[in-house]
Amino acid sequence: MKILIVDDDPFVGEMAAAILACDGHDCRIVEGGVEALETLASETFELVISDMNMPLMSGLALFAELRERACAIPFILLTGDDPEPLRAEAPGLADCLMKDATLEDSLPKAVARL
Amino acid sequence: MSDTHQGAPRESFKVRKARLRAAFIEQLPQRLKEAHQRFAALAPDTIDQARLEDLYIHFHTLKGSCATFGFEQIGDVARTAEERVREAMDAGGAVTSALIETLAGLLAKLDALVLAAGAQTDPDITPSFELPPDVSPPQESTSRSDRLIYLCDDDPDFGAQLAAQLGCFGYRVSVFTSLEVLATAVAEECPSALILDVMFPRDQHGGPKALAAMTAAPESSVPCIFVSCRDDFVARLQAVRAGGNAYCTKPIKMVELLELLDRFTNPHPSEPINVLVVDDDRELAQLHATVLEEAGMVAKAVSDPEQVPRILETFSTDLVLMDMYMPDCSGPELARVLRQMPGHLSLPIIYVSSETDVARQHKALAVGADGFLTKPIEPARLVSEVALRAERMRLLHSLMVRDGLTGLFNHNTIMQYLEIAIANSKRISRPLAFAMIDVDHFKSVNDTYGHPTGDHVLMALSRTLRLRLRDTDVVGRYGGEEFAVVLNGMNAQQARCILEDLRVSFAGVTFHADGQEFHCTFSVGVSVFPIFERPDHLTEAADRALYRAKHAGRNRVEIATAEDLPTLIDAGSTQPDAERHLR
Repeated sequence: MKILIVDDDPFVGEMAAAILACDGHDCRIVEGGVEALETLASETFELVISDMNMPLMSGLALFAELRERACAIPFILLTGDDPEPLRAEAPGLADCLMKDATLEDSLPKAVARL
Repeated sequence: MSDTHQGAPRESFKVRKARLRAAFIEQLPQRLKEAHQRFAALAPDTIDQARLEDLYIHFHTLKGSCATFGFEQIGDVARTAEERVREAMDAGGAVTSALIETLAGLLAKLDALVLAAGAQTDPDITPSFELPPDVSPPQESTSRSDRLIYLCDDDPDFGAQLAAQLGCFGYRVSVFTSLEVLATAVAEECPSALILDVMFPRDQHGGPKALAAMTAAPESSVPCIFVSCRDDFVARLQAVRAGGNAYCTKPIKMVELLELLDRFTNPHPSEPINVLVVDDDRELAQLHATVLEEAGMVAKAVSDPEQVPRILETFSTDLVLMDMYMPDCSGPELARVLRQMPGHLSLPIIYVSSETDVARQHKALAVGADGFLTKPIEPARLVSEVALRAERMRLLHSLMVRDGLTGLFNHNTIMQYLEIAIANSKRISRPLAFAMIDVDHFKSVNDTYGHPTGDHVLMALSRTLRLRLRDTDVVGRYGGEEFAVVLNGMNAQQARCILEDLRVSFAGVTFHADGQEFHCTFSVGVSVFPIFERPDHLTEAADRALYRAKHAGRNRVEIATAEDLPTLIDAGSTQPDAERHLR
């Protein structure tokens, strides 16, 4: 699957890409929401995985912007905080995952569920 | 960093994760420094929503990435800091002195945890040892960090292990198990060097063949080191024919491999080659010297053979280029004179002569020269002949004076150095400290966890010493688990300060063996010039101070006083047994 990863922390982005590469996914990392929108406008992806808290544009704002632009691409949100309130706030998210060491396990599973 | 993962996905996840984690640990201190800077920008009793927000995002990101890489403790503290800043933001952005105090405390906690971060275990790949990150990153590792190495071996475990070890020395290593994938990766991003296995499942000579194919394109010339359990001529010949620059047999000696990698990946040799040109024809000597200097070497021209020994004393010479026929003293005679002087036995000598008679050339070589160049010499040939021999000699020399396990100077070399260092200190009247460092209870490490683990402890200590001491300090392996350090220009207090620091850092290193964690400590005895003036007195006094450190409970630094000065020449033989037992 062709996946766009959005994270302002390059280490976390690389880590997510490393996890997904194990299952043969083709990942591209960008460091912010604006860059993500530009990339999505010029290239086709099958999934967006985005960090929640980023400067300029949050993950949730990116999600809202995409839906606003009538882009229905599945969207997984990663957050350092409790994911429950975010899940409630944005029911359209494919998933919302906690950013911690369990990501290695939870991320491939979430992608497989799509 | 954002788009570099293309081509790497087939690299094993374990290796990739270990590499990311190592890189993450490396930049943690810098991130924390940025948090400190943002924190310092906060002024008490002001309203500053913008700076608070800035700090909030910083702590938040730190929390998230630490959690992702399994540094839960750091993540938790960052979370608390993030929450405190959030509360202040929600309360209207007031920077209270209470907030500042709380954040200062949390930052101090983060500092301590980040320092200890290297000591946490990685659940997946467990390198044999991890060091806490250095307070001041060593120059050595920063210069190596941009050197990318591709390692290809069909055994993934061997690859991962070697990569982790090279990672400890600052190299970025990508591991491949298939030559096809490697070739694709090389085409995408050319590494600084390749490490290739010779035998692959489908082909006995897979490695060399792959290298030959990869370097067929004229623009690609990547230095390549072959590693193999084969030590036969055919395998070595194949490797050479394919363009291999070096060949290491398994099990790999890390010091040797690192020495080679450092050489191949450093485009500029650390120091220029020093050449002494001896020719009774002054102009010719000068001409050769000029040719060599133009190629970046340092060359000295001499026309009087009698001056050669004196010049060799002060000019640290890598190679002597010598005319064969000189009126007062022939080349072979001068070579013989030099060979009979201590220290010049291994000095490379090349004759230059218009002699074309092969028999005479042979006779001249027989007295201990390393090559023969016939006049007139093409400048390019002169440069390449000299560079080739001088570099080979340097490598040989470094292997001769260094300890095979730790890469530190061996016993003889460090003792020779101590003598020179004392003479120097006398001359410029400045102090010098000599420290003997001995790993505590080393025997029980070997007995409990086995010798390979013991070796890792020694490698970790050697690395701690090398990275944390100044360039002007010299470290050697005195023997067994004993290390010697010469601290130039340091008095007792300064030496104690530095060694105490090292002692604490080393005690913080976590070692892993058989799924268990353990820690090691060391004891130190220090003696100082000019309290002690002779090399043997310094070593003996340090040894006695070390004995006291051991006796007083180990894991401590003791400074030798004048009372430790051996008054009798045989004073050293009083308690050797007791000392050995105590270690």
